[in-house]
Parts: sequence; C-alpha cells; structure tokens
Amino acid sequence: MSKNDDAQRDEHRPDVGLYVKVFGALMILTIITVAISKLHLPRPQAIALGLFVALIKAGLVGALFMHLWGESKLIHRALWITVGGAAILILPLIDCVLVANKITSPPDVASQHPSGEHAEEH
Amino acid sequence: MSQTYNPAAIMGNADTHSGVTNAKLGVWLFLASEIMLFATLFTSYIVLRMGSTSWPWGWDVLNVPLATLNTVILISSSVTIVMAYAKAYDKDKSGFQRWMAATILLSLGFLVVKAFEYGHEFALGIGPHTSVFYAIYFTMTGLHGLHILGGVAVNGGLLYMSAREEHWRNPLFLGRVEGAGLYWHFVDIVWIFLFPALYLL
Amino acid sequence: MAHGHPELSFREKYVFSVDHKVIGLQYLITSFCFLLVGFGLMGLMRWQLAFPGTPIPLFGHLFPADLAPNGVMSGEFYNALGAMHGTIMVFLGVVPLAVGAYGNYVLPLQIGAPDMAFPRMNMMSYWLYLPGGVIMLASFLMPGGAAQSGWTSYPPLSIINPGQTVWLLSMVILITSSLLGAINFLVTTINMRAPGMSLWRMPVFVWAQFVTAILLLLAFPPLEAASVLQLMDRVFHTSFYMPKDLVILGEAYKGSGGGQPLLWQHLFWFLAHPEVYVLVLPPMGIVAEIIANNTRKPLHGYKTMVFSMIAIGVMSFMVWAHHMFISGMSASLGNFFLVTTMIISVPSVALMTCLVFSLKGGSIRYSVPMLFALAFIPLFAVGGLTGLPLGLTVTDIYLHDTYYVIGHFHFVVVSGSIIALMGGTYHWFPKWYGRKMNDSLGLVHFWGTTATMVGIFLPMLFMGMAGASRRLYDPTAQLHNLPVQGWNVVSTYSAYLLALFQLPFIYNFFHSMWAGEKTPENPWQATTLEWACPSPPPHGNFEKTPTVHRGPYEYSVPGRKTDFWMQTDKS
Repeated sequence: MSKNDDAQRDEHRPDVGLYVKVFGALMILTIITVAISKLHLPRPQAIALGLFVALIKAGLVGALFMHLWGESKLIHRALWITVGGAAILILPLIDCVLVANKITSPPDVASQHPSGEHAEEH
Repeated sequence: MSQTYNPAAIMGNADTHSGVTNAKLGVWLFLASEIMLFATLFTSYIVLRMGSTSWPWGWDVLNVPLATLNTVILISSSVTIVMAYAKAYDKDKSGFQRWMAATILLSLGFLVVKAFEYGHEFALGIGPHTSVFYAIYFTMTGLHGLHILGGVAVNGGLLYMSAREEHWRNPLFLGRVEGAGLYWHFVDIVWIFLFPALYLL
Repeated sequence: MAHGHPELSFREKYVFSVDHKVIGLQYLITSFCFLLVGFGLMGLMRWQLAFPGTPIPLFGHLFPADLAPNGVMSGEFYNALGAMHGTIMVFLGVVPLAVGAYGNYVLPLQIGAPDMAFPRMNMMSYWLYLPGGVIMLASFLMPGGAAQSGWTSYPPLSIINPGQTVWLLSMVILITSSLLGAINFLVTTINMRAPGMSLWRMPVFVWAQFVTAILLLLAFPPLEAASVLQLMDRVFHTSFYMPKDLVILGEAYKGSGGGQPLLWQHLFWFLAHPEVYVLVLPPMGIVAEIIANNTRKPLHGYKTMVFSMIAIGVMSFMVWAHHMFISGMSASLGNFFLVTTMIISVPSVALMTCLVFSLKGGSIRYSVPMLFALAFIPLFAVGGLTGLPLGLTVTDIYLHDTYYVIGHFHFVVVSGSIIALMGGTYHWFPKWYGRKMNDSLGLVHFWGTTATMVGIFLPMLFMGMAGASRRLYDPTAQLHNLPVQGWNVVSTYSAYLLALFQLPFIYNFFHSMWAGEKTPENPWQATTLEWACPSPPPHGNFEKTPTVHRGPYEYSVPGRKTDFWMQTDKS
C-alpha cells in the first residue's frame, strides 16, 4: 500500500451538487427561523420550534458538510460519548434550578433590561 | 519534521489501525472537547435564564437584521470551504485558492458585522456588566468570535501553504484541508444555535 | 524504515524536543519540582496549625511584613498558601506526573509505537504546562498576593478576593495543555499500536491512561468555560456567579447581580470529580504493572480490571454533586448523587480486589517498587473506605468541612497515588537511564515515607471526627478543637519528617542517573513491550516495529524454561 492510497482511503468524495442543495435548504431554514420568531408565539412553543429548526440545520451541516453521513463508526462512537457527557452535565443542572426556583423563588432576580429604551434605537 | 519519522508514526500499522487518519481523529476529538465547552456555556445560559423571572427578547434589545446577515455570511462560508475541499480533492490549485480566499473574506466580513453590533452596544453604554443577559450575550458571541479568528488563522495558513507545490504532493495536505473544514463547520453549527438562543427566542 | 536521524542540537534534543521520552522526563522532573513546592507551602501552613501565632522558624523572617508580620503568618497568607497548595499539588503535581510523565514515556513504548501520534503537539503540551505553572507561582508576587479562595475557588468569595485573576488565567493555560495531551493519548492508543497489539492485549496501564484521557477530554472543557465566566466576572464585572443584592463588608455589590453562585460549584465539580479518578487510575495502572511483574504470575481478572476502569470512568461523570450535599442544592438531587456515589464504589472495590487476589499464590519478589505497590493497597483502601461516610448525605452533614475530608482525600491521593507514582519511578528508572536506583536508599525512602504519611493523615481523621474545621487559620480559636490540638502537632512533625525522608530519594535519583548500577535491557524480566527495546530507547524507540503475539502478563507459563514470556516472543 503506497502512502498515497493510505491517506486517501478515508477522505470523502465531494458532491458539489449536494452541497449547493444543502446551502439552499440552510438559507430557507434561516428565513423560517426568523419568521417564526416574528409570529409572537408563546415562549415555550417559540423556543421548541426554534430549537427544532436549529437542530435540523445543525444536522444538515453535520451530516453532509462534515460527512458524518457515512463516516467511520469510531467517530460516531466518540461523538455519542460526548453527547452523553453533555447530557449528563445539562440535565441535573436544569433539575437543580427548577427545584431551587420552587423553594426560594425570589420576586425579582431577573436581569431586567429596560427593553423599551433601546428597542427603537436599534 | 515528519519525514524523519518512521512511516508508522503517521500511517499506523495496517492491522491495528482504526482506518481513520490520525489527523482526522485528532480534529474530531478536539471538536468533542469543543462540544463540551459550548455545552457548558449553553448550560450556563439555560441555568441563568431559568433562574431569572424575566428575560429580554432579542428583537427588543439586539440587532436581529444584522445577526441574520451574519447567519447568511457564516452559512455561505461553510459552503465555500466545502467547495475548497472539493477543489483540493481534485488537485485544482487555483480553484482551491479562490474558494479558500472567499471563505476567509466571508469570515472577516462576519467579524466586521459583529464589530458594528458591539460598537453600537458600547456606544449606548451597554456592556457585559449591564445584566446577566448581556453578560451571556457578550461572552458567548465573544468566544465564538475568537473561534472565528482561530479559523481565519488556520484557513489563511492553508491558503499560504497551497502556493507551494510540495504541499500538493504531500498526501496529508487534503486531510489538513478536511480538518480545517470540520472545524469551520463546527463554528458554523455553534452559531446556528447561538443565533436563535440569543436573538430570536 | 529509516532511523537515521540527523544530529540534533542541544536545544532540539533537551529543550524543545518532540521525542515523547524526553518530554516525559521533562514532565517528570518539572512535576516532581512542583510537588516539592506544594509540599513546602504545606510545611509553612502546618507550622501555623500546630503552633498558631508563633513565628515560623528559619523562614519566618524571609517573608515581607504584610504576609508574615514578625515571622508570624497572617490569615491572608495562610489562605493563599492553602489555595495554592491544593492547586499546585493537583493540577501541577500529580496529574502531570501521572499522565504527562508516565503516560508520555511509557504508553507509546507499551503499545509498540515509535512516538506519539502528534509529536509537536506533545511538545506544545509541555510548553503550555510549564508557563502555566510559572504564572501560577508568580501570582504570589502580585499585589494582594495569590488566590485565597481555596483550590475550589467558590464564588462569591473568589470574585472579590485578590489574586484570583492570575489563577484563572493559569488554569485556562493548564487546561489547554491537558486537552492537547488527552487528544494525543487517545489518537496514539487508537491508531499507533504495533501489529498484533489488539485492545485486549494492552497492558492495564495503557487502559488506565486511555480511560484517563477520555475523562480529561470531556471533563476539562466545562471547567475551562466556567473559568472564562469567572474571569468575565472579575475583569468585566459581569454577574454570572453573583446573586442580586449581595452586601460585601457593609457595601452593596456594584454589579448587576442575578447570577447563580451554585453554577460554579456544579461546573467545577463536574471536572473535579473525574479529576480524582484522573489522579487515581494511572497510579492503579502502575501498581498493576508492578504487581504482575513481581508476583511472577498473570494479573487476577485482567478483563475485570479493565471493565472496572471503564465503569469508573463512566460513573465518575455522575457523582460530582456529592461534594455539594450541604450547598443548598435540591434534596432530590442529593439522593440521586448519593446512589451514584455508592454505585461507583463497586468497580473501585473490584479493582482493589483484583490487585489483592493477584498476590495470592505468587512467589513475590520484594523489590523496592513492589514494596510501594504493596503499600498502595492498604493505604488507598483506607482512603477509599473513609470516603463512604462522605458519600452518604446523613453522615456528610456532620463530616463536611472538617479535617476528616482532608484526611480522606490525602489518604487517596498522597498515600495512594503518590506512593504508586514513586514506585513507578523505581520500576521504570532502568528504562529511562539504563541504570538502577540504589536499593538501600530506596528502602529508607520507602519505610520513612509510608510511616510518616500515615503519621500526617491519620490524625486528620481523628481531628475531623472530633469536629475540627478544615478552614481555620487558628485551630485554637474554637474551644472544642483544644482536646485534639495535640494531633495537629503530631501531623506537623510527621510532615517535616516526610520532607526529610525525601532527601534519600532525590539523592538516589540524581546519583543513580550517572553512577547507578548498569542494568540489562530487561532487568525485571518483564513481559510488556517497553522492555523489548534498548534502555534508554533511541529516538523512534524500536529498531524494528515489534509484532505482538500474546497478552501482557504471561508469567510462569507451564512448560517454559523462563518464567516470563514477552509479548514480542514468537515462541
């Protein structure tokens, strides 16, 4: 096996047509995500929808631009372990805050921003 | 320096090698640590937001049109870098250089737009100290901006290297281009989440 | 495969070397130096604890008057020493020694690799670690002194105390260095094994380093992010960790408030608990290597040990909040972490059991490294078992913040990890320099070190159970501490004796480097690959890429002339 074969064996054959299609999809999804936020949905729904669209976009970039689709199992495994680690970090913390809020729930811990003042200046 | 090494140092031994080159595996593991880094920042964001009784809406306090423009710029740069990879794959030197230069220009454009946003906020006397929302906004976009700068350095380095024929003969060059691309797409993905989290929701 | 290397300059060979062996030794010497520095800081603190309010002998008048007026340590100086002792020992001493030094030197040899996967990145790891450490030490010279908020740096205290900014900067650098190292170790282990070196033929030490690298890779970035947030709080006056309406010394805090102080504790311990296993797993790997070699029989339950290590690695991400039982976090979360903490003790005990069973029926060679490995087992067991009451919420409420915690932790890391790491030095010294360390000096070092370590840490357990707070600058300030104050004196004198017993080790190390007894290529009749190349190995390690034919611990195989069967031997 020559050096050249060895280095080539795990690079992905590029597919320019596909890249252009993904580009179009990402642009459309960007418009959608901005449009959703202008619908003035209740916040929980808006957050769920916004996250959903972001996940699709990230999935497209990851699967097709980063070639995770068809990537070696080793890298898939490494990423699943990482995602597991991140989930372990996030979930207990959310629980922690939820419970802490129920117990103490101070009336005004918010980082209130005087939103009216700057809104028109932007 | 690498040419002084035993080839196994770069290619590994056929029967115990995972089939993924060292460079690519290294980049993915680096990205794994980056995922943990940004996961922590998003966790902090969630915790701080849930711990607050109210949270400003991006449209009221930030410049959403500019951020949308930046989203378009960054997504375009993701496409240009993948095109640069396609050209490098075909050993098309000038094509690679064109797409890579476009990528770098787009990333610099992103930073310029970001600087306008920051400048406007600073002019209004708003800074990271203003509130927890602005603290997380400046920290996360700032760290993301540093990652963009790092990407500009890496991509610029590859563009510089591509001028010399010897790198095109090096079988590892394409792997380097792919690695830089992976990193750049990751920075793009971070922004894909940052944009709605800070500006839209 | 060409091994003709051009003659390297001194700078390329010993300073900015890309050879994993040179980098490993750089790590070894540097981290031993940091261990000494951290130990020295502790020596000063121990004087204050044993004889509060009396001038420090010999060194007291060397310090500027604001740190130690009339040679008596000030409270701020005491706090700075405490914070720096913890930080230096953990992040600059034990981890770089266990991972940077032993991992770097031994791991590529044990898997039959010519070098690390990324030699230049390896060099960069070291050259980030050293400046990071120097910056950490330099914080003593900053106005206001070094960080004073403990190695855990809990806000709000850490946000308002001086010195912390330098601490954070240094931590960011050190974390970056560790991350580069972790990536390097993982890629090396995955891709660079010699032909025939399948995963189940890797020595336990390699497995330990592999699991450790995964822990470092996934647990360090959260602390890096958390440090950046704390840096923002200090430099740009954000309020990530500062609650609203905070009053400090009668003055309202000027920042916006609205942050979560508990967030730091969560993020810090998300790193720092896996970090404990980073401190413990590589030494366990070393002990396993030494025990297999000196009992002349295969390890008992090789696969059990490996799976236990993996289980420890997974579980170590789910136990962090047992450090926070009294922090005010939710009780249901406390129960969850209590259960996971009890679960993680199972694989730990399995590992220790395998080590003990490995001794059964062996014809043990009581060499100096073996003595260290044998001492590791009971001393580490004391450390592990004293941890159980801390993992149970009910008993932890009483014991938390007492000297009991300090005693427990030090039994684990000092008389556990550091003992094993010292044993590793005696074991691999012939590999590093082609010479042997002196046995008589080694015996003096061994007996003195183990005895004085117990003398330091056992009193801490007693004091803790009597309720002595671990954070007091002057223990006699609390009446209930007076009956156990005598133990503080015992502990302090033991610490000074421990320092004395390190002198033979230091002398032995440097003397043997040049004048030690010369050793053959495989002086311990070991089976693993690092002994299948010259000592010290040349740049590129193996003259010919070795081929591996069998598992790592084929000792006393029936029907063979010799009692060891090297992994590279065909028959």
